[in-house]
Amino acid sequence: MSEKKILLEVKNLVTEFNTDEGSVKAVKGISFTLYRGETVGIVGESGSGKSVTSLSIMRLIPSPPGKISSGEVIYHTKDGRQIDLLQIPEEEMRKFRGNDISMIFQEPMTSLNPVFTCGDQVMEAILLHQKVDKEKAKAITLEMFEKVQLPDPPRIFDAYPHQLSGGQKQRVMIAMAMSCNPDILIADEPTTALDVTVQKTILELMNDLSMQLESSIVFITHDLGVIGEIADRVIVMYQGNIVETGDVLDIFKNPKHPYTRSLLACRPPLGKRLSKLPTVKDFMRVEADGSITELNTSVEEAINKVVVSEATTKERMEKLKEKTPILEVKGLKTWFPTNKNFFGKTTSWVKAVDDVSFQVYPGETMGLVGESGCGKTTLGRTILNLAPAHDGEVLFEGRDILSMNSADLKDLRKDMQIIFQDPYSSLNPRMTIGGAIQEPMSVHGLLSNEKERKDKVESLLSTVGLDPNHYHRYPHEFSGGQRQRICIARALALNPRFIICDESVSALDVSVQAQVLNLLLNLREEFGFTYIFISHDLSVVKFMSDQMIVMNKGKIEEMGIADEIYNNPQKEYTQRLIGAIPKGELGDIERRIAASKRVNA
Amino acid sequence: MSLGQNADEETVMAMKKKLRLNYSPAQRLWFYLSDLSPVSIQSHSNPDAPLYLKNGDYQYVEWLKFKHKSIVLKKPYMGRSFQSDKPVLEILRRKLVPTLILACSAIGIASIIGVLLGILSALNYGTFMDRGLISLSVLGISIPSYFSALVLAIVFGYYLSDWTKLNITGPLLDVSDVGEYFINWKNLILPTIALGIRPVAIILQLTRNSMLDVLRADYVRTAKAKGLSEQKVIIKHALRNALNPVVTSITGWFAALLAGAFFVEYIFDFKGLGHETVHALTMFDFPLVMGSVLIIAFSFVFVNILVDILYTYLDPRINING
Repeated sequence: MSEKKILLEVKNLVTEFNTDEGSVKAVKGISFTLYRGETVGIVGESGSGKSVTSLSIMRLIPSPPGKISSGEVIYHTKDGRQIDLLQIPEEEMRKFRGNDISMIFQEPMTSLNPVFTCGDQVMEAILLHQKVDKEKAKAITLEMFEKVQLPDPPRIFDAYPHQLSGGQKQRVMIAMAMSCNPDILIADEPTTALDVTVQKTILELMNDLSMQLESSIVFITHDLGVIGEIADRVIVMYQGNIVETGDVLDIFKNPKHPYTRSLLACRPPLGKRLSKLPTVKDFMRVEADGSITELNTSVEEAINKVVVSEATTKERMEKLKEKTPILEVKGLKTWFPTNKNFFGKTTSWVKAVDDVSFQVYPGETMGLVGESGCGKTTLGRTILNLAPAHDGEVLFEGRDILSMNSADLKDLRKDMQIIFQDPYSSLNPRMTIGGAIQEPMSVHGLLSNEKERKDKVESLLSTVGLDPNHYHRYPHEFSGGQRQRICIARALALNPRFIICDESVSALDVSVQAQVLNLLLNLREEFGFTYIFISHDLSVVKFMSDQMIVMNKGKIEEMGIADEIYNNPQKEYTQRLIGAIPKGELGDIERRIAASKRVNA
Repeated sequence: MSLGQNADEETVMAMKKKLRLNYSPAQRLWFYLSDLSPVSIQSHSNPDAPLYLKNGDYQYVEWLKFKHKSIVLKKPYMGRSFQSDKPVLEILRRKLVPTLILACSAIGIASIIGVLLGILSALNYGTFMDRGLISLSVLGISIPSYFSALVLAIVFGYYLSDWTKLNITGPLLDVSDVGEYFINWKNLILPTIALGIRPVAIILQLTRNSMLDVLRADYVRTAKAKGLSEQKVIIKHALRNALNPVVTSITGWFAALLAGAFFVEYIFDFKGLGHETVHALTMFDFPLVMGSVLIIAFSFVFVNILVDILYTYLDPRINING
């Protein structure tokens, strides 16, 4: 890459949205350049304007309410013409979409049309932009499926999206986007909804393809770790502005803007044990008018402030084990029937949880990690008797939960609570958040009257870091992180002693994730909770837990002290999980860049 | 009833026996079900038995023969009309055809107009046109069909009849001045409109709402990002996903129209199933009423099975066995 050819120039792009409170600028006049053959990562938290930027380039901003109010997006074609994509008529623009500039979206689950086969959807793009007949288009499609390493392309060609896994769907999306050899591929959080192990394979695939097909990639994500795995250059966006640009190594070695530093620091580090995660607040102060005051903290300083020594960890563990276990799971099996014979007798089972036994001590956090489909969520639900167990025992303080009658179970719900994965769908949109938090208290007859309950809700809201005056607001007025705080407050309403967090931070940005994780840890110290913490991300689980269980195909693969498992994983599966985490370490990035230079040379 | 006031005892008895009125209601129900069943046990030796095989009402094939009884395969038999003494099935079959045509044309036209207006409304979301269409459809839902039927009949069939050349009332199978039967398609127009107004309004709203949902879906954005034209995105990618709830409503209405164009058929003197049923009710012609209720129930079930099969074509995620 000796001579850098300009491919796309974005100049002073402003995009705004009309809302009830007047027009809001999502992108506030940003400029950047994309060169041929490079991968640029745009990083920032939700609401930073990174997705809006990409949709503006494609001119796919939903309008109304959105509008590109000014700026230029100049595309340099292969034959040397320069075209401002914002000025050309819509029909002209359509010829560029999918052909010269294509896009992959965040949600592979919903981004494919459910009523057409995958093959049809990819073929559609090819037939539209290339002058080929159906036969040839099918051949190209199958070839693309081969390239994105889908198993058995002819079968995938005829399969409907719901018959594929999330990773496979994202591969189909990539095949669709790459099918016309685009100059630019815009990938908007393409791996955020996927497991870390699947994320790793998708990132590798995109790296390979960009080299093979010589496309430039604009890779949008909230996770700097992922950027380290794929990008050549990084653009950091914060509240609609670009706050920092630079080569990926520079950004990781020497981040200048405090926001970039906070993004680097807030990912749970793997090598060290921290008492809490550094957050944006440790690096800068955001004033009410949106201006930023830098606090001059470096990433190392922030992390060193909260690091916990090995001795302290050991001491804590020993103290925990002195007590009798609060929860004992013995030979637990949760099987779901898949086939029944004529007489209604089950002939085959899906063994979601198969013979699992472990113990949790009071005050401890037990981590549960594994890929999606490994049975970790089912295990969590079976422990609460929310999913029917096939066999086994779950003893909570010596009483078997599985054989309890409904009155005892209702009592038990006071002690054991669960926080679900998706803060968007686990709150009733027609209930005020105050009402949602208060409901479990009314159901269980806690506190004597409405007034006391309301006071309690308000104190809970401030415990989880929300404004008690928001009592009468509805869920849609809150961001994802705030909603998860509401869910936590709701779980706390019954004064439980035992909480299961089922992928509670997976839907959140890393910066927000850090805040919620810190909150959960603070609550553990303050109220002495016992957690079971379920996640597909080993780094998050390791940060949270004292002990850890690695699950695979319904069985326990490995179990023990979290740090020990990480430092010395015994099973190949655990090693794979650890290997898949985007670590964002300098050595890895240097190695990757060196490798790609070798290929190009 | 059908004998008039001066019938003597003997005739009444004979009539009662013929109509099986001398049995208890439970027994009569049993006989009725047995008559309906395609397989039944009939008596072939005793002409006085209520299920005597050879009285000319049954079209059957004998399967197994015993001493007094035999098991037969037969066409369902719904008895005879009290009024006309004709087999119920035959009467209803003749009346079902015009009703079927009326229901098909009403729902067909309603679907086409409703879906088109619904798409139009969704694409112009929030504009004057959208609001206008919604207001009109609310009006359409609120007007009872017998009222709109009366208004239509008077306005287009009477006041404007010189211009529209339409009759105020009339059946599909009309009798000409010289006594020949002919199909008078003109008489289909007004009932179709009167029956179609409510379905149009409801289909419009359903299509609009469902389209609005689908147009916000991620896969529609994907289709646009592919470079497809607006038209193709809407018709191919959005509409097919939006149609599911609309199909439910269309078929629901279709079944309802088959059954219940009572008022409209009566007002327009359109001699179909609904007209016949109302007439039979006023005449206490119970076999006929029972028969038409059965046929209506059957058509509901049939249409719904059809819809379930249709769904699997519309949405591959639905598995008919699952």
